[in-house]
Amino acid sequence: MSGFTDRVDLALADRILKVAVERTAGTAEAKRAVAVDAFPDFEAARDRAAAIKDHVVAHLGAYLEQFEAKAIAAGAKVHWASTADEACRIVIDICKAAGAKSVARSKSMLGEEIGLPHALAEAGIGRVETDLAEHIIQLADERPSHIIWPAMHKTREQVSALFKAKHRSPHEEETIAAMAESARRELRTQMLGADVGISGANFLIADTGAVCTVTNEGNAELSLVPPRVHIVTAGIEKIVPSMPHAIHMLRMLARSATGATLTQYTTFYTGPKRADDRDGPEEMHIVLVDNGRTKMREEGLAEMLRCIRCGACMNHCVVFRQIGGHAYGGTYPGPMGAVLTPVFDGLKQSRELASACTLNGKCQEVCPVRIPLPTLLRGWREKSWREGLEPTSMRWGLGIWAWVARRPALYRFGTGVAVRVMQILGKKGWISRLPLAGGWTRYRDMPKPAPQTFMNQYKKGRRT
Amino acid sequence: MSARDAILAKLKGAAPDKAAADALLIAPERPAVDTGALEAEFLARLALPSVSASHDAIDTVADLPAAVARYLAAQGEPHTLCLPRDPRLSACDWSGFTLHEAAAPDEVATLAIARLGIAETGSLVFETAPQAPMLPNFLALHHIVLLAVEDIAAHLEDAPLVGAQPRAHYWITGVSGTTDIEGTYVRGAHGPRFLHVILLRGAVG
Repeated sequence: MSGFTDRVDLALADRILKVAVERTAGTAEAKRAVAVDAFPDFEAARDRAAAIKDHVVAHLGAYLEQFEAKAIAAGAKVHWASTADEACRIVIDICKAAGAKSVARSKSMLGEEIGLPHALAEAGIGRVETDLAEHIIQLADERPSHIIWPAMHKTREQVSALFKAKHRSPHEEETIAAMAESARRELRTQMLGADVGISGANFLIADTGAVCTVTNEGNAELSLVPPRVHIVTAGIEKIVPSMPHAIHMLRMLARSATGATLTQYTTFYTGPKRADDRDGPEEMHIVLVDNGRTKMREEGLAEMLRCIRCGACMNHCVVFRQIGGHAYGGTYPGPMGAVLTPVFDGLKQSRELASACTLNGKCQEVCPVRIPLPTLLRGWREKSWREGLEPTSMRWGLGIWAWVARRPALYRFGTGVAVRVMQILGKKGWISRLPLAGGWTRYRDMPKPAPQTFMNQYKKGRRT
Repeated sequence: MSARDAILAKLKGAAPDKAAADALLIAPERPAVDTGALEAEFLARLALPSVSASHDAIDTVADLPAAVARYLAAQGEPHTLCLPRDPRLSACDWSGFTLHEAAAPDEVATLAIARLGIAETGSLVFETAPQAPMLPNFLALHHIVLLAVEDIAAHLEDAPLVGAQPRAHYWITGVSGTTDIEGTYVRGAHGPRFLHVILLRGAVG
């Protein structure tokens, strides 16, 4: 059994996980629907958002150079990294040069993607995760299970137990508000005492050299203003031409992610503190990370570079809602993760992700930048077939099916037999156990098919 | 070859056409705002549960200390205030207040002047400057903001500055909140738990 199917088995057997995922994703789905209904023309806005990103991806090199020049002019240092390891090395070197003992980190999926938490630990640099959910999973020594709600897999009872075990003065009252207050007490002094603040970027503004972060907690600002050094790690696709372009994307991001009209705190940082400023870092470093993105652009995945990491695709995915984020095994879960993970981990290790998709198209329907996720997932399936990565049983099975399907009389006979057998097995409209397909019916029932095959019904209809 | 050269070599192409980039911004889809009633539009957004800020109104800057005192008394807080070194604020009579400039880790209340209010979202727009530190606005439990009614603009597109940028340009739309535990909304995750806007009918000065 492979790693993926093992993880799925574990996830499906975990009833608490199902409850936890459903609570947060269900709320997100409902809130997004309300926000989208209230927007004047969300469909046209999605077209515009996709067009802005396509324009940027088509001219990515020129926009990156413009951003770099503006950021340097504002006093920032710009670094470039082709790989995840290179990006981590740059960050660690900056931290060491600053004599940093501790860093405050504001949630960044790019940071997770390049393995920054691990690299900091290896370098012996203390790390304070300041986003509440990242703080929870740091205490639990786990990985994020969602890109917006990294601790979505945890129930309040589990969080309560964790805080009581790890916080210096934990909550006494068993409420979520009291738990959040406990984290506030715990994190505040650590944030204010950090030597370096590390963030990602939601957008990089080409014509000003600004880096935009959005949070609802205000933890980015509390992590990035007090330390002497601010380091940004950002994927090269985060560029937008100007602030007004960013504004359109911000409207889409907030509505798609949480159903809000705007995130509570939206900040544009341009360079380090000015001579007479009262606060802010003395150094600002921006690490521009490729890590497979130029390859995606060349090899048929340019549309995936539109992604603004809102999480709507996973909130609406029937598979994600059943198995949660950890089962996917990569940094990014859900439909967007199933497209991205083969880029980072290799198709051989992750080809099953594309198969674990019903192709119901819900992800594409809600994507604010209209990424054709089902099409991209089908692309991975085809590549996996072409490269001979599918297991022998699958190749044989499909081969036999194709042989039979090319012989209509045999095919009709076969389906006729199958329909009669399934009629016998089905009870009250559902089949709960199916010979030779136990894997399918282990976690769900199969709908009982119509009493006759389509061809039988079609022929009857034609006679009448 | 440096990483920079390697990345840019793969991304070689025509320089972007400014007109093409600008064309992407013609008539953007955005929430409608009645520009004839900006104050009412702004206050309506401020009252939304997602923003949940309170507000008061004064006629002149000289009325500011009394408005701040009124708010702190209503909240049951002492008349202690983190006050940035802004001449427009120092010109007021703060007798009866304990003032300090640097924010403490457990700061109770801070006062700041917003450059703009945005009616579309109920956002307050700030920039860092020698007289405008950033940290107090994220540290204090009560964030009190002075906003001139004439500085309320319609849309987010009205917020950006043209030309040289300050270290930080930021928009605050409500209080610090989180839904990280079971998707349940909690106020005051890290930053302010209360946001109070004092509208000034006259000019800030």
